[in-house]
This record gives sequence, structure tokens and C-alpha cells, in this order.
Amino acid sequence: MRTIALALSLAALAALVVTRSPAPAAAQAASAIRLENPWARRAPAQGGHGGANGAAYVTIRNDGVEGDALVAAASDAAARVELHETVKDGDVMKMRPLPKLGIAARDRVEMKPGGHHIMLLGLKRDLKPGDRVTLTLTFDKAGPMSVEAPVR
Amino acid sequence: MAQRSTSLRCRLPVRLVVLAVLVAAGPALGAPFRSGVLEPPRPAPDFTLRTPAGAEFRLARHRGDVVALTFGYTFCPDVCPTTLAELTQVRARLGAAARRLHVVFITVDPERDTPERVRAYTRAFDATVIGLLGTAEELARVRKAYGVTAQKRVVPGTSAAYLVDHSAFVYIIDPEGRLRLMFPFGTSIDDMTHDIELLLRR
Repeated sequence: MRTIALALSLAALAALVVTRSPAPAAAQAASAIRLENPWARRAPAQGGHGGANGAAYVTIRNDGVEGDALVAAASDAAARVELHETVKDGDVMKMRPLPKLGIAARDRVEMKPGGHHIMLLGLKRDLKPGDRVTLTLTFDKAGPMSVEAPVR
Repeated sequence: MAQRSTSLRCRLPVRLVVLAVLVAAGPALGAPFRSGVLEPPRPAPDFTLRTPAGAEFRLARHRGDVVALTFGYTFCPDVCPTTLAELTQVRARLGAAARRLHVVFITVDPERDTPERVRAYTRAFDATVIGLLGTAEELARVRKAYGVTAQKRVVPGTSAAYLVDHSAFVYIIDPEGRLRLMFPFGTSIDDMTHDIELLLRR
């Protein structure tokens, strides 16, 4: 009798797990993107007249089953924000703007110095170690997401 | 990434002799350099440029110390600040010996880099970083002497007026005034500290 009761409750539990699982998955579909390890490089604003640039970096993780793409970026610390990539061409480092940055399903893209970066154009204030800047990254599917990046 | 010294990249018998000498010498010679060694070392081309305050900086006056030369521009958000931030960390690791390491940032963008901009830029990292300016011709001469390329480029798709593609090595001049090492971008702080410490110890 006990065994049957245990089996029944296990079955109920299993059913619960099965019926429960689609709900979180559906809720997650809109937020399959995770922003990790955001940071910005220290930089002077050069008087704040719009003539100074900075860079921020973030690792984007896509836990979803569909690919997504970073299509736009903004920040409270800069007049304009662009997505750039530094590429090595022989001994020379070149920067080029990227219209978007794709992140495949269940994949991650790690921005880092000398690679992909978020370029902050026209800094509005000095970025000093200990400060924080807000980055708003807009994804094709996940929509806009904000993250606080400490300055290092 | 650590690069092998070119002195070890030779034909086998010579390499064996070199290895034998290294083994025989043991700790007396110390560990070899971990990053881009120039063999044979050659006298570092001398130059005179100006600091943001207008003072003359002549390379040859820094014999006895190590000079780390970098080339960049203040609008550069990724590569140049990374290099300067890393060299600042190297200085911190060197402790008291950092007095004998001079980190120098030479602009490749004299059109836009004013003394004020260069001063603010270098100070964002470390007050000891020496920013250097000169006329377009003076700066071009220094770049040529060190084999540095810098190419102004108007890039579609960005609101930056123009970018400057440039070599991103750190050129290390030893206490005897010789160009001794070239660190490629991405050399670890550990390796840079190790190699500079070796030069300062001699």
C-alpha cells in the first residue's frame, strides 16, 4: 500500500514537473539573453564638449533556443554609442563599426579589449574607477536591457 | 601570448650550444625573456619631443632606466587605453623599481591631440605616464625610426570623424639605451612585468 502511495505521489510530482516546465520556458523566451561581467574603461571626458571616447565591455549569453542579435546601444555617459570591433591586420590594429552583433542559440559572445566593444562617443563625464555607467542594449528579439557597468 | 626569443630560433647545433650555455650558466643568467626579444639588440633611435607642459623629452637622457614607448591617440577607446592601463598595472607590480620605468605615450594624431587632451588622457591612467607631442613631421620621423605605421581612415558607419589605424606594440628600451623587446598587443601583464624586471636587474 505504501509503495503504491509513494509511486502515486512520485507520479503526481512528475506530472507537476512536466506541466510546470513549459510555463517558465515560455516566460524565459523573452529574456533568454543574460548580460554578464559588464565594465567600462576609465577615460577622461576632455571637458565634456563631446570630443572624448570610451569603451565598455559585456559578455552576452543567449540561453534561448533561438538566435538573437544586439542591434543598438545607448548610455547615460555618452552622447552616442556604437558597436565596434578591433581587428588585427598584420601589426596594425583597426577598428570597424558593426551594424549588429549576432548571438547564436545557447552561445555567448565575450566582448574584450582588442575585440568587440561598445564604443562610447562624446563622453558626458569623466569615467573614473569606482564610477558606474548605465548601458542599455537593445536586442532584436529580447528588446532593450539595461545593465550597470563599473568603471575600471 | 609569449613569443620565443629569436636567439633560440636558429639551427639545431647552435641551439644546442645556446641551451648548453644557458643550462651551465644556470641562475646566474636568470630566466630568459618571455616576450618578443630583438636579437641582436640595436641602439634605440633617439628623438626629442615635447610633453604637454612644453618640456623637452629626449630619449637618450633616460639611460640607466627602462623606457616603454607606446604610440596612440586620445580618441582611441579600446587598444590605446588597454595598453596604458596594463602598463600602469605593470608599474604597480614592480613596486619601488617602477621609479626606473618610464611609460611614454606618443600621439599619432597631432591634428586633434592638443597638449590638454594628451595630459588628461595620460593622467586618467597614472600621473607618471609621459604624453609626448610634436609637429606632424617630427612625429612621422619617430614612427619611421621605430617602424610604426599610422593610417588615418574615415570609416563609414561611425560618427567618429576619423580613426587612426596604428601598430600596437610596446617598444622596450633597456638601461643601455638599446631597443630590446617589442610586446605585441595582448602580452600578459605577468610576462611584461617579468621581462622589465629582468632588464632593471641588470
